[in-house]
Amino acid sequence: MADIQIIDADKHFGTNHVIRKLNLQIRHGEFVVLLGPSGCGKTTTLRALAGLESIDSGEIRIGGRRVDQLPPQERDTAFVFQLYSLYPHLTAFDNIAFPLRAAGKPDAEVREAVTAVAKVLRIDHLLKKRPSGLSGGDMQRVTIGRALVRRPAAMLMDEPIGALDAKLREEMRAELRRLHLENDSTTVYVTHDQVEAMSMADKIGVMNDGVLQQYDSPTKVYDEPANLFVAQFVGSPIMNVVDCTIASTAQGTGLRLPGMGDAVMLGPRASAKLQGGTGAADALMLGIRPEAIAVSRAPVAGAIAAHVHLVEPMGAYDIVDIATGAGGENGTTLRARTASQFVRAQGDPVWLSLDDARTHFFNKRSGELLRAAA
Amino acid sequence: MARVSLTGLTKRYGAVRAVNGLTLDIRDREFFVLLGPTGAGKSTTLRCIAGLDQPEEGDIAIAGTRVNDWSAAQRDVALVFQQYSLYPNYTVRENLAFPLKSKLRNLSPQRIEERVAKAAATVRITHLLDRRTDRLSGGEMQRVSIGRAIVREPRVFLMDEPLSNLDAKLRELLRAELKGLQQRLETTLIFVTHDQVEAMTMGDRIGVVNKGELIQVGTPDEIYNAPKNTFVASFVGAPAINLFDVSLDLAAGTARDGALGFALEAGTRARLGELPVPGDRCVRVGVRPEDVKLVAEGGIGGTIYGAEHHGVEIIAIIQVGSHMLRATIPADSNVTVNQPVQFSFTQDRLHFFDPHTGERLSRR
Repeated sequence: MADIQIIDADKHFGTNHVIRKLNLQIRHGEFVVLLGPSGCGKTTTLRALAGLESIDSGEIRIGGRRVDQLPPQERDTAFVFQLYSLYPHLTAFDNIAFPLRAAGKPDAEVREAVTAVAKVLRIDHLLKKRPSGLSGGDMQRVTIGRALVRRPAAMLMDEPIGALDAKLREEMRAELRRLHLENDSTTVYVTHDQVEAMSMADKIGVMNDGVLQQYDSPTKVYDEPANLFVAQFVGSPIMNVVDCTIASTAQGTGLRLPGMGDAVMLGPRASAKLQGGTGAADALMLGIRPEAIAVSRAPVAGAIAAHVHLVEPMGAYDIVDIATGAGGENGTTLRARTASQFVRAQGDPVWLSLDDARTHFFNKRSGELLRAAA
Repeated sequence: MARVSLTGLTKRYGAVRAVNGLTLDIRDREFFVLLGPTGAGKSTTLRCIAGLDQPEEGDIAIAGTRVNDWSAAQRDVALVFQQYSLYPNYTVRENLAFPLKSKLRNLSPQRIEERVAKAAATVRITHLLDRRTDRLSGGEMQRVSIGRAIVREPRVFLMDEPLSNLDAKLRELLRAELKGLQQRLETTLIFVTHDQVEAMTMGDRIGVVNKGELIQVGTPDEIYNAPKNTFVASFVGAPAINLFDVSLDLAAGTARDGALGFALEAGTRARLGELPVPGDRCVRVGVRPEDVKLVAEGGIGGTIYGAEHHGVEIIAIIQVGSHMLRATIPADSNVTVNQPVQFSFTQDRLHFFDPHTGERLSRR
């Protein structure tokens, strides 16, 4: 097991700049998820770590050793793909044992290592079956077992559970995370699914257009997204991002959304972010997560008067689209998360209060998050 | 008036019954979602309604008239697929106008232009009308596909996973748009999906299908809060419902399986007393993750196996003996792996199923 460093890595496919000056420090034993839309460079980065792609410039180090010029087999990494790449004619046992036997390990050692890994993955009762007799989840467990059994310096996983159904994905998420905790293996995991990233990672590297947008803990990525891209890629329902204007008055800092009547006063923490000075001259956007909007059915002093536009029941809770003022083209629609059946009918009046600490502002031009001065 | 009625619909592919004796009444102006896993028969059902497939048995009626022998064109329904089936070398305007140029319709160019403009405004693609369709993003293409269905002013819209190829953000956006659109157009819409979130958020009613059979029809509220069997219970809702078998002792007021045991509240005992509990006193309990609460004391003992920080909330995975239970808890909760915890259930929200058949136990 080892730490991983990517230093100033660049990669082109023809004229397409797929990795741009990427710097990433992964500590020994960390579970890092590279998250982004298709074409963002996350898979190319993973393949570059494995040695399946070269980089044009920069360095890759695994366990302190420079590996970017080494062939894949000398890098001591194990790669798990989305599609189970198992040998169909071999049993689960023989599939897992394959890399050890290829390395010429003695039988007793192979048996011991395979049994131990199978137990962790809870497939010890399936070892005599061939892949065709296994479910999708179990096949992927065998694939992961085959990667783990060599105790590689780094585990590299490319959407390993993307092809499974929703319920199995939920189970595998918990198992992969647990497996990581028990094995302490440095893991780099690639996905486009923000739920997987949030639920498994120690750290998330959000990528877009070959550029690393933010590299932080899931909580930090969620609570303090560095820019508009991250803000809207992580979280479901999506963070509300709307145009706004700010007016300083004698009472404090006022916020106005298009279509809204009187400005509402911002709390001290939101106001402090505006005093930070980042791009104060530029247009701003308000960013607020649906759960950070408190919805009231009775008038609240200082709240935003609005009305219900659409209710989306999720079972455990509702997502409610709420229009301020006129709504539609000239107004602003905000999404809030409420208890199930909290609001009943379209058109009902409601009053919205924004959670002070969770009210964000972004520079509309650069997309950057505004931060309170330290 | 466009009620859609299916009676005993059966469609075979070789020896496989893709749809097996399906009977269903879809109301006029209803947003009806057919929900199920791959291979459930939902797309086949839709294709039978559209006239693209012929059922071996059963009747299809639209607005009270049997249409089995009508061609797809005669049925006056519009189908939107997952793949945008647009003409790539034509502009958006030409794509929208195309279905109206049929000789059967006999519309004047001016009338066609009006209807195209109206449909484009409805799906907000007016600014794209002169763009070629191969220059559009995925979301724009799907809007054009829907626009091309709208322009025909059909009696029924049929949509087969139209949002599946779009990214998560766009899907969320189009979900709300599509529901709003259907309400404005006041047309019957039958929507096929494997995504329970789409079904819950958009459907007036949902029909859950599995292996060619219709399992349950109900409002999102009914499907989520009174699932007819364990299949529906675990197919709808994320994280999935917790299911486990217990032996009941109603006299002592307890339910137990190995390490997982709890006292039944008076209300729960009364409820179980009225249910047809199997002779072996064994029931399958269903409890949604939001109905599992961590408590300081007096609860069921377990250990935190995993904690998923989802930002808006934490999904705690609690190990109790051989059971793994999921609980949705507030985002600021402090839980760490291997920590001992206690939890309880919101008992009036417990579901009870027959462990042998998987059917919901309900009062006879």
